Amino acid sequence: MNTGDFEKRLERQDMRPIPREWREEILNAARRAGDPQPSTINPQPTSWWRELLWPSPQAWAGLAVAWVLILGLNAATREPVQVVTAQSTAPAREVLMALKERRRLLAELAGSPTQVEPQKPLAPRPRSELSQRTVAG
Amino acid sequence: MSSPDFLARLYDDHAEALFAFLLNLARDEVDAKDLLQDLFVKLAKQPALIEGVRDERAFLVRLVHNLAIDLMRRRRTREKNYERLAGETVSLFAPSTDPDERALRAALTEALGELPFEQRAVVHLKLWEGLTFEAIADALDLSPNTAASRYRYGIDKLRERLRPLYDEIT
Repeated sequence: MNTGDFEKRLERQDMRPIPREWREEILNAARRAGDPQPSTINPQPTSWWRELLWPSPQAWAGLAVAWVLILGLNAATREPVQVVTAQSTAPAREVLMALKERRRLLAELAGSPTQVEPQKPLAPRPRSELSQRTVAG
Repeated sequence: MSSPDFLARLYDDHAEALFAFLLNLARDEVDAKDLLQDLFVKLAKQPALIEGVRDERAFLVRLVHNLAIDLMRRRRTREKNYERLAGETVSLFAPSTDPDERALRAALTEALGELPFEQRAVVHLKLWEGLTFEAIADALDLSPNTAASRYRYGIDKLRERLRPLYDEIT
């Protein structure tokens, strides 16, 4: 089989002609699309949304439903959290106080009185006579 | 250029060839018609697209090729197997009274359907549009070497596939 002859034979095969009636159908559709659209109530957003959602409208709808569920659940669970927070305010102070007390007791037991007992005022020490002598001398 | 008649002029000059190309790519007459209509709707909405274009045919081939690729993606999205459609019977060629030609055209239609989409596009443009590899490369956004190699692979497959029939009828 000669390659050139084979290709020439294929080239000679006539392709199927386009159906005649399509001409007016296609051209009319194109002309309608090319004409300015009659004014309707806000047609632009609709077409914009269609363009945006066209590739996978079901996926977008699913995503929207998922978001609605998430927001719904969020709204439903927010209220009890606030109640719990409000209830827990007063005990939290008590817990803090108890913790402070406990820390103080632990410090006492560990024998670090400096942290627990208030500092006593310093008793006046006997003055060094050496320094006085040095000065006098 | 942008007068209403420019659409009719474009249709008369190019629709025949574009239809054959689209039919070979889409392997479905309804889809080929839809894509052709999409093309003319696009041109009607944006007449500036084709203004100043030097090679109208190559430009339009590029547009319909892109539309066919989009169709393929939509088919995949809809889980319609493109290769299954490619194998379906569609009459790409004009009817012939010669039984040998008729047999060859039927076998060729089937063999073309077995080629991968991009090889089929290149083979079609080379054989039935008579485009050079440079022009094909330009239209399909390829390098000329890629266009040439796709053509070579495609034509080799066609030759192997059609060899028994071809040898018989020549």
